[in-house]
Amino acid sequence: MRVRLAAISALVLVSAGCGLSSGQPESVADKETLVIGVKQDQPGLGLRKGSKYEGFDVDVAAYVAGKLGVQNVRYVTAPSAKRESMLQAGTVDLIFASYSVTPERKTKVDFAGPYYVAHQDTLIRSSDTTIHNVRDLRGKKLCEVAGSNSWRRVKEERKVAVNLVAGASYSDCIDQLREKTVDAVSTDDLILAGFAGQDDSIKIINAPFTDERYGVGVKKGDVAGCEAVNKAITEMYQDGTAEKLLKKWFGPTGLKVTLSVPQFEGCG
Amino acid sequence: MTVAPVSPAPQNAAPATMAATGPPLTLPPGPPSDERTPRRRTVPGRVRTLTGVAVVAVALLFGATALAIGNVRDGLQVIGHDAGPQVVATADLYFALSDMDAQIANVLLIGRETSLGKGRQQALTRYDQRRAEASRAVLQAAELTIGDPTEQRTVRSVLDGLGRYERLASQALLLDEQARHPAGPPPQRVIDIYRQATDLMRLDLLPKAYNLTLDSGTIVRETYEEERAAVLTGRILVAVAGLGTLAVLIALQIFLARRFRRVTNPALLLATLATAGLTLAGWLLLSQEADDLRMAKENGFNSVLSLSRARAIGNTMHGDQSRYLLDPGRADTYEQVYLDKSQSVLYTPGGNLDKYYVGVDNAVSAFPDKSDFLGFHGIEANNITLPAQSEAVADVLKGYQRFQQDDRRMRQLALAGQSRQAIAHRMGPLSDSFESYDKSLVGLTGLHGQAFDRAIENGDGSLGGWNLILPGASLLIALLIAAGVWPRLSEYR
Repeated sequence: MRVRLAAISALVLVSAGCGLSSGQPESVADKETLVIGVKQDQPGLGLRKGSKYEGFDVDVAAYVAGKLGVQNVRYVTAPSAKRESMLQAGTVDLIFASYSVTPERKTKVDFAGPYYVAHQDTLIRSSDTTIHNVRDLRGKKLCEVAGSNSWRRVKEERKVAVNLVAGASYSDCIDQLREKTVDAVSTDDLILAGFAGQDDSIKIINAPFTDERYGVGVKKGDVAGCEAVNKAITEMYQDGTAEKLLKKWFGPTGLKVTLSVPQFEGCG
Repeated sequence: MTVAPVSPAPQNAAPATMAATGPPLTLPPGPPSDERTPRRRTVPGRVRTLTGVAVVAVALLFGATALAIGNVRDGLQVIGHDAGPQVVATADLYFALSDMDAQIANVLLIGRETSLGKGRQQALTRYDQRRAEASRAVLQAAELTIGDPTEQRTVRSVLDGLGRYERLASQALLLDEQARHPAGPPPQRVIDIYRQATDLMRLDLLPKAYNLTLDSGTIVRETYEEERAAVLTGRILVAVAGLGTLAVLIALQIFLARRFRRVTNPALLLATLATAGLTLAGWLLLSQEADDLRMAKENGFNSVLSLSRARAIGNTMHGDQSRYLLDPGRADTYEQVYLDKSQSVLYTPGGNLDKYYVGVDNAVSAFPDKSDFLGFHGIEANNITLPAQSEAVADVLKGYQRFQQDDRRMRQLALAGQSRQAIAHRMGPLSDSFESYDKSLVGLTGLHGQAFDRAIENGDGSLGGWNLILPGASLLIALLIAAGVWPRLSEYR
């Protein structure tokens, strides 16, 4: 009888165990080590310096990881084209890499956040007094960066008749702006701010005309992890850390930053 | 299989280990004297032990079932009666706030005109009404966040912000009234104040209200997953306890049949049948309840929440249309956020509004044969689970299409410089098509709401009676066991 009772209780324990851990993959909310994907070439957001990364994205990632109770965080470069596949394959747990939330991406990964809503804005020479908003770009020379969609937003979506001048990268565009071969550079304000902060001869016009929601990439289906990240982001805004970090990285640039928590995308 | 018998060999060694007699190993402790009557002591001792095990097994069955039913009750309570309905209330908060801001924009846009749409007074009345709704919803949200300091801070800051918003809104209204301007953009000083108000609303209050809904949705999801897992585990425990009880009862009967040369023991037989019945009924009940919880969560709650979000976003889109006409300096921004929001409601590829309108036309005309669009409406269109849902979704899609077509017309008029006609279109046909779209959305949400209520009602209904059935049946089984064993034991007195 003791044997039987023992057998019954063993069975009970086993079945209870099965019911609780029914093969769900581990959530980032429960992990002790996290691999986080960031940008390596975006001043102010994610920039690689030696073996370290620095920038707003990196600081936000560190805060969120801390709130999740993670001891070890490892940062890796997440190139734009590989972000979905890295999350799907599990080579990274989270992505903080100026990763805009879009409906297409949402079919492949889940998004916590956004932790910040950036806006497309325009960078001009400080001496220029003719450009106040995107409409004023009509007839002006706008830098067109290969592989970026930002110029389309001006020329195709806003239908402003600009003259496009090719640039190899945003740093190249900034050089051209100083040399007056272009009149304006238009892309996410946080990216522009990274450049404007280093130079008084250029300025942001503070006339945003799009919403770019920077989300946190989470593996599809990890609802608990996504919700935990959202909670951490809420707390980051409540305890003043968001303000501190935004001022740290973008304060000197004259950019108007939003200091209240963004509208989340919703998990799962 | 043959086992070397030690004492009187049983004819067949199976089915229970207890039948294999041998030197008494598991006797209740007693004085090891009286060597003349070892057998007489052994038999009643064994009967007592087996009976004791049987009664403990019945108690376990009772406990397992009671525990699982407790989980069912908790799940139904939280999802069906507490958090579930309250989550929907926080979604109403977003809606009310967003409509407050839209009504202010309308009043400022209409100016001193009286012939446009439903007019200034009605917009103001609706503003007051939404203000009252928002207050009620904040209270409900506050109730829901008890115990979560992060969410409580959010509720508090929504409340603070609402006060600031009202101050700015009344300032804008006052300046606007003094300006007595014709329909169209008010003087810049009015626009400047309104910009502060609408920025506070759109960038600060609405996101927080929206996140509150998501947070409370988390409570429901967590409760659901915990309780449902517990119910399913409980179902296994009930089966194990039930089968264990049956095994003990059968063993007891075999033992009695052998020792006392009686073929059946009617009371024990009844106890066995009652145990089988209780176990089966418990299993079926828990399966049914797990199913009801799933129905309520997945076909009811999830859809209601997602459609409420779609409705809230639709309302801010309608406000963005007024703001687009109201504030030419920001028209580009308001048009862009309108497009972004449209794409979160119904997504088809296309980077600007012209392409989007075409995409919507194509998507809607292909439904219900094809539904390859994303966004809130895409999720709904690809998850048809209720009768009449497909028709209701078709209504919503057609309403949305008309709403977008009227939006196109309004923007064409505005771009052509016919600003008065654009405003008249906004306040007339566009407003009508928005309202009929909104109504169809409410209808579809209602369909899911009914499914939710039905599932919760079913769940509550099936539990009815188990307060009596479970203890009654368990007690009955225990009594039957006693009744079956008592006469045998008394033979030894």
